[in-house]
Amino acid sequence: MSHASDVCITGAGAVCGAGRTVDAIWDAIVCGHSAIAPISRWDSSEWPARYAAEVTNIDSRTLVEDRKLHKLISRTDLFGLYAADGAIMQSGLPAYRETLPPEAAAHFNDRCGVFAGSGGGNYQNNYDFFPLLSMAGGSIETFGRELQNSVNPMWLLRNLPNNVLCHIGIRHNFRGVNACITQQCVGGALAVAEAAAALRVGEADRAVAVGHDTPLEPETVLHYHRLGLMSEDTLRPFDAARRGTIFGEGAAAVVLEASAQARNRQPKILGEFLGSGCATEAAGVVEVRADGEGLARAIQLALDDASMSSDSVGFIVAHGNGTRASDASEAAAIHRVFGSDPPPVTAFKWAFGHLVAASGTLDLVMALRALKSGIVPGVATFRASDPDLHPLPVSADPQKPRSDVALVLSRGFAAMNLALLVRAHED
Amino acid sequence: MTRRRVAITGLGMVTPVGNNAADTWTSLRAGRSGLGVIQSFDASGFPTRIGAEVKGFKPERFVGDRKLLKLASRSHRFALVAAEEALADAGLRPEPHTCHRWGCSVGAGMMCVKFEELQTVHRLCAEDGEFNPAGLLNRDFPADPIAFCRSQSNTGLALLTRYFGICGYATSVHTACASGGQALGTALKVLRRGAADFMLAGGYDSMLNPIGIGAFCLLGALSTDNDTPERASRPFDATRNGFVLGEGAGFLVLEDLNTARRRGARIYAELAGDGNSLSSYRITDSHPSGDGPVQAMQQALADAGLATEDVDYVNAHGTSTVMNDRSECAALRVVMGKHLERVAVSSTKSCMGHLIAAAGAVEAGVCVLAIRDGIAPVNANFLEPDPDCDVNVVQGKSRQMPIRAALSNSFGFGGSNSCLVFQQPEDL
Repeated sequence: MSHASDVCITGAGAVCGAGRTVDAIWDAIVCGHSAIAPISRWDSSEWPARYAAEVTNIDSRTLVEDRKLHKLISRTDLFGLYAADGAIMQSGLPAYRETLPPEAAAHFNDRCGVFAGSGGGNYQNNYDFFPLLSMAGGSIETFGRELQNSVNPMWLLRNLPNNVLCHIGIRHNFRGVNACITQQCVGGALAVAEAAAALRVGEADRAVAVGHDTPLEPETVLHYHRLGLMSEDTLRPFDAARRGTIFGEGAAAVVLEASAQARNRQPKILGEFLGSGCATEAAGVVEVRADGEGLARAIQLALDDASMSSDSVGFIVAHGNGTRASDASEAAAIHRVFGSDPPPVTAFKWAFGHLVAASGTLDLVMALRALKSGIVPGVATFRASDPDLHPLPVSADPQKPRSDVALVLSRGFAAMNLALLVRAHED
Repeated sequence: MTRRRVAITGLGMVTPVGNNAADTWTSLRAGRSGLGVIQSFDASGFPTRIGAEVKGFKPERFVGDRKLLKLASRSHRFALVAAEEALADAGLRPEPHTCHRWGCSVGAGMMCVKFEELQTVHRLCAEDGEFNPAGLLNRDFPADPIAFCRSQSNTGLALLTRYFGICGYATSVHTACASGGQALGTALKVLRRGAADFMLAGGYDSMLNPIGIGAFCLLGALSTDNDTPERASRPFDATRNGFVLGEGAGFLVLEDLNTARRRGARIYAELAGDGNSLSSYRITDSHPSGDGPVQAMQQALADAGLATEDVDYVNAHGTSTVMNDRSECAALRVVMGKHLERVAVSSTKSCMGHLIAAAGAVEAGVCVLAIRDGIAPVNANFLEPDPDCDVNVVQGKSRQMPIRAALSNSFGFGGSNSCLVFQQPEDL
């Protein structure tokens, strides 16, 4: 029996191609419905990789009401703020704050942390300089002279990688310890790990952790394709016929609270944070080790952090990005830790694509939802296991978790590996 | 359980006033300016034509791996060289049996596509100014995987962990001008919670290109004293009119204090405390009352277990913008109270400009050297006091004085505030 967790999760929010609420996204997964479709944002008919899970039919003003704010942020920020708003509202923290006398409310604000995992930037941001480049016709002198007549004076502020951090602070008056993590695919999961670490040592009483990203732009898709990382039309994690990944876009957020603080106000608890582990493999910019060594270490570190053995894990939400190398090494890592009898394994990217910096947070939110439902959803695109992979219990059908503990894996460029452990909360 | 204490045992810098820590420190003590007319591109049309460039930089002399350097942008190269210096200085490197216990925490600049690469995309996709993605499918589009890799948000981190063989915890943070300070604060926390035993931590940035300079010009944040670049950055002076953009990198090696003692390492200082807050006021400023920075400094002192009276020197954020310096001084007044007049305050941005994501890391190194040598470096160009900046500025020349504890402030666009506390090792 493991010890009572000192950090609990009291709010969750998400938006992605599969839906704009946690329940809607969950329903899509359970129904086997994938949001992956031909890209509509630009004419992609001639593109070598032309599928993605876009967020469509959304009026940005319905995501975040503040009209003035829309001039100061970009698409990725909009998603991040929306997901964070959802998690914060569900947590009930703003309503609780209103019951506090002014001084206690000010202290409350200083004890609210904000941790963001941000994509860190898009190529498209720079395209705002294209009219100026056309005007300058190759002369940097003209470029400089005409700058102020061509480009929005707020250009830099719109594109700050830490905008979501900044505006969550302003919108919700959260003012405590904070970080904006620009760690590519593991940024969102690392934001959760750092938020939990801050709560454990008492640097904050509660914190929102959000991951947000919009990798879905022409240049990025093309570069990923040229690196051999993109699938044509379907994302099939761990499948023998897997051909690569597919982008999604969006954001997900959770509110974490020090359990001792949460007890003061009796919120509905979505789950307990148990531990995290982070390890790199020093393998290079995009390379990963074939043997899964770094990921296996990250998993072991998370288990140690949670004072738990591997047989306590009820199911695994794998990174499962669908690329040949990543999935193979991930299977190897799971085999290293769990031996020949790992708990059920699933992955969600087949449903909403790879959200890069937001992927770990969204997987965590869905893992919490799975804990609530007591089922491990099937991977709807899975057809046949890959004989070259260490065997994993992946299935197109739902599976039964072995316990109420979920392990969420997140991996990325720079050979980064992150593992998170969460547990369902017993009332 | 007693909390782990963290020693600084290695330093490395690449700055506009020196391509290593020793040269940088010599320049800063002498108040020598690294500011000048921008040489790396034709800035003659820009409202601001001055900057603080790194000069005579030859990374291949320090980093043997040519393939790795090809993947590195200008700022990544600064990082590799400064980190190499820090590790050599510490006399310690990740080894196969220790690499899992080594972590890396960096404050990285914004995604910066090379201007020439942007011009290529423009030529193929947007001759008329309007972006047409079909141009990317043109055979002339290089789609260079190396250029792509270079542009990823954690590429700097990837190159550092790869080159030095760091296999433990790794993170890359960006909170604009607070990035370097926050990266060091993160490293401190990682060491304290035992997630690593050794950390390579620092920051790197280079925005001295047409887009970077342009972006800050658009905001009106830069000094336009184009005819007197050496005087352009004058934090706390009544006539200050904006910051001067710099570039560079700073890295520190951090390790458990007891481990460092056991191996007989030279201990520069203890990284004793970290404070971190969010102003939640405006994107570009803190409240004129100093609210936000106040909490960061108070938390940092409390975290270090120090009283305001223990602080002898503050290396200020001091950007030389009207609003920042005013708000920072108000915050110092709130935090330090009567003790403020006895605290030496200087902004070394007066000499080396604002290194953005690298600023906090380089300035942390400056605090460490200030403690070691008992010298508060001069705040250059301070001539006319500003009643709104009523602090004890180190003016005229550097001040010889024992420094028991020093604070390093870094406040970023977006409202993140970082304050680090460094303590004299003899007091440990």
